[in-house]
Amino acid sequence: MTTIDTTSGHAGHHDDHDGPYWDSAHGLVPKVIDWMTTVDHKKIGVMYLFAVLFMFFLGGVAALAVRIELLEPVRTLTETLPDGTVQTTITGQLFTTNPENMQAGNNVYNRLFTLHGAIMVFMFIVPSIPASLGNFFLPLQLGAKDVAFPRLNLFSWYIYVAGSIFGIASILMNGVDTGWTFYTPYSTTTDADHWRVVLMILAAFILGFSSILTGMNFIVTVHKLRAPGMGWFDMPLLIWALYATSIIQVLATPVIGITLLLLVFERIMKVGIFDPALGGDPVLYQHFFWFYSHPVVYVMILPAMGLISEMLSVHSRKKIFGYRAIAFSSLGIAAVSFLVWGHHMFTAMGELASMLFSALTFLVAIPTAIKVFNWIATLYKGSIVLNTPMLYTLAFLFTFSIGGLTGLPLGALATDLHLHDSYFVVAHFHYVMMGGTVIAMVGGIHHYWPKMFGRMYNETWGIIGCVLVFIGFNVTFFTQFFLGTQGMPRRYANYVDEFQLLHQISTYGSWILLAGFLVHLFNFIHSLLVGPKAPPNPWGGLTLEWETESPPILHNFHHEPLVTHGPYDFESVVPPHCDEKDYPLPDPADLKDHH
Amino acid sequence: MNEFMQRMFFGDPSQTDAATHTDGLFIMLWWFGVFWFVLLMGLMVYWVIKYRRRPGVPAQISPSHNTPLEIIWTVVPSSSLLVIFLLGFWGYMDKITPAGDSIQLDINAYKWGWAMKYPNGAETTWTAPLANVEDPVTGAVLKGDDYPIFVLPEDTEFNLRMISQDVIHAFWVPDLRVKMDVYPNRYTGFAFRTPVLSADDQVINPETSEPMNGRDLVVFCAEYCGDKHSQMAATIRIVPKGEYAAWLQSVNLGDLPPARVGEVTWKSKCASCHSVDGSPNVGPTWLAGATYQGQTYGFGNDVILNNGQTVTRDDNYVRESILEPAAKVVNGYPGNMPSFQGQLSEDQLSGLIAYYKELAGVVAEDGTETGAGEETTGVDETGEDKTAGGGD
Repeated sequence: MTTIDTTSGHAGHHDDHDGPYWDSAHGLVPKVIDWMTTVDHKKIGVMYLFAVLFMFFLGGVAALAVRIELLEPVRTLTETLPDGTVQTTITGQLFTTNPENMQAGNNVYNRLFTLHGAIMVFMFIVPSIPASLGNFFLPLQLGAKDVAFPRLNLFSWYIYVAGSIFGIASILMNGVDTGWTFYTPYSTTTDADHWRVVLMILAAFILGFSSILTGMNFIVTVHKLRAPGMGWFDMPLLIWALYATSIIQVLATPVIGITLLLLVFERIMKVGIFDPALGGDPVLYQHFFWFYSHPVVYVMILPAMGLISEMLSVHSRKKIFGYRAIAFSSLGIAAVSFLVWGHHMFTAMGELASMLFSALTFLVAIPTAIKVFNWIATLYKGSIVLNTPMLYTLAFLFTFSIGGLTGLPLGALATDLHLHDSYFVVAHFHYVMMGGTVIAMVGGIHHYWPKMFGRMYNETWGIIGCVLVFIGFNVTFFTQFFLGTQGMPRRYANYVDEFQLLHQISTYGSWILLAGFLVHLFNFIHSLLVGPKAPPNPWGGLTLEWETESPPILHNFHHEPLVTHGPYDFESVVPPHCDEKDYPLPDPADLKDHH
Repeated sequence: MNEFMQRMFFGDPSQTDAATHTDGLFIMLWWFGVFWFVLLMGLMVYWVIKYRRRPGVPAQISPSHNTPLEIIWTVVPSSSLLVIFLLGFWGYMDKITPAGDSIQLDINAYKWGWAMKYPNGAETTWTAPLANVEDPVTGAVLKGDDYPIFVLPEDTEFNLRMISQDVIHAFWVPDLRVKMDVYPNRYTGFAFRTPVLSADDQVINPETSEPMNGRDLVVFCAEYCGDKHSQMAATIRIVPKGEYAAWLQSVNLGDLPPARVGEVTWKSKCASCHSVDGSPNVGPTWLAGATYQGQTYGFGNDVILNNGQTVTRDDNYVRESILEPAAKVVNGYPGNMPSFQGQLSEDQLSGLIAYYKELAGVVAEDGTETGAGEETTGVDETGEDKTAGGGD
């Protein structure tokens, strides 16, 4: 992408900054202080990565506990003994040792699914890709030294940590049982004499600011800090996706901030806004809440789509099909995402509103479908290697397609009245959020691992982990579609016996999923300790992050890069640091026919 | 084929035309999804195998852009989506628009149960467990929790007018393929026509334990509402029209002795939180003499309130606790019981008090208690047995 050699010929300046980006302090205490006060986007990205992965771990533990409770239906049985007395027994209650008090078990379950939802949404998946991989690679892909506002970037990490501390404090105070959606009037009345609900709401409120600041930072960076020669349509698609994401973050997050603050006012000062007992309207809360929480679904999925575009193109050595269509569909999704929030409320609104929101919902399906078609078309006549990132990319196409297609019966009004708030919805959004975002993120971490940490991971174990995650994920969640259509409501601690088999299969699947993630964890630790040193461009990528060393130096590039070719021109450019023997170019005569 | 698909997805057959339309639309969407999924995944797998990387062989050149193709794959899905939207909207209107001659039923939701008021003001007195389970060890049939049965005549148009007493609930009848949220500050509802019964439809009559002609549709709460969200259920029972008329006459509570009125009311409105056998639950048990959590329960016993005061459970205490639950909260309990002000008739209130006193061995003054005991089912006998042991 550049004509200037960036790995050598740097005599005379920046000599003290030529080591890995983390090599700027010596000794443990100075190192810790250096990391905690750094304004380097790479270190902040790595700190975000560890923070969100820790939250993923916490939320995952809650999810596994939820699945274990659902292994058995809970039954209260009354039996008349021979002497005429009645005995009450409870079966299948796994969360309480006191068989007389089934309430305790339900209560624990309700808190666990709330924790799972709140942690995964607010503390993991919203910041996941943009704040970690995005922070690390957005400036690198643009050829910039850093983001536009490096101190703001560090500040948003601290806000994120502060918000998470509020959330964890709430968990340590026994957690909340409101559901992550905080629907009123339940959330304004439950646990009325405790601060933990307020703490959890404030956690989400504070985390919102982190999201807004990161979004602002990215927007300005994309506008102002592109390397010379990089026009808008020379940007890698990950940048387009992060740009669209940032717009949503900046525009939608303030709404949830105000809404949550109003909720806190209502709980503490009894100002009637949402609670009918105080003269408020609970449907108003739902409108406010989903006005943020629907667009934020695209905050979760758009960066994943960006990663998929990168990985698909690099690992099949193929120019991405329909670059402009993918770039514009990112912006299209961002725009339409603000108009479809009502589809979470078809069972709460009147006919006219439901009709409009149903129609608008189908609109948002179109740019998403276009992206999938483009990705599949990119594979045609490629040179495809099945390593861990590429397997994750293919797994994404598989699970995300299912997630998208199962959205159709939820967008259609007649079928949604049956499927709303059932396990069908649970399965659908896990196929999009986990089968989409998490799978793309794990693939992306593998893809960018050598660049971030300067070491290769073990490919065999990566593939084993990927296969386990893929199988485990589908076993866990595909069963839940059938639970939903057959009538299993969500957020149920107990259920009728006919659903037990499907619930059991789903729980076993969650254990396979766990095994897959553990394989990845050990593979990563192994790589950090003894992994072979990574070359600057292990996959043969053409975007700017592959120009610099693995790991990058503190200032990213020795010289400001100059962009001379597109991000996916695999048919005409030998990747930097790569041998043409390994990355042969097609005959230029063929090229002529197509341009 | 269609019937097989319907069984696979929905378990039970649809009960109304609108529900059948929904099943049809869902199965159509399934095939639509299968078509695109197989097409895309087929191409993906085929190309991944065919174009796998070979050392020294470059990727072949192919266009990275094709306007006609891109227009086709934008327009074709868009127009299919328009059709799906229209079909969905059509089926939705079928479900929520009441027919002109439909009968209105009032649904009342509260933590954690459902009540239905018939047009003549009557409420159901029937309850049944959602399922009877066989004890894996002894093989004995064990009885699950009781839920109210809402008896409805076959082949009749109904529309629901629903309101909640506390938080948001949602009334879901999976066999009708429809649910609607229930709010505390506005009416919501939907409409349906009950199916026509066949002779094969047999259910158990809870009064006589004999089989009767009828069909049961389960109701679940679908909007999270707290601790017992997953136990907030009911049964809609479709019966022949003649039997419905006779049943509606028989549920008139006026003819029963007060304690029986109270017991019936307890089953439909109170049993989800208050036991009568002394077992702990969300609310205090009604069995006199039961002791746990530092309290002695039941009529005549003193109660320690959360403000440290001690009062005796007498008639007025019970009445106040039902109508204004927040006035006196028993120590150790959350105090989140909804008020039943306006939900209960004076007969039901005095019936509940009579039943509460009967659980303490206080016989009703008109002396009907013995006679009533013979008519009642196993559950009250056990209640009385317990009373004999527990009353002090």
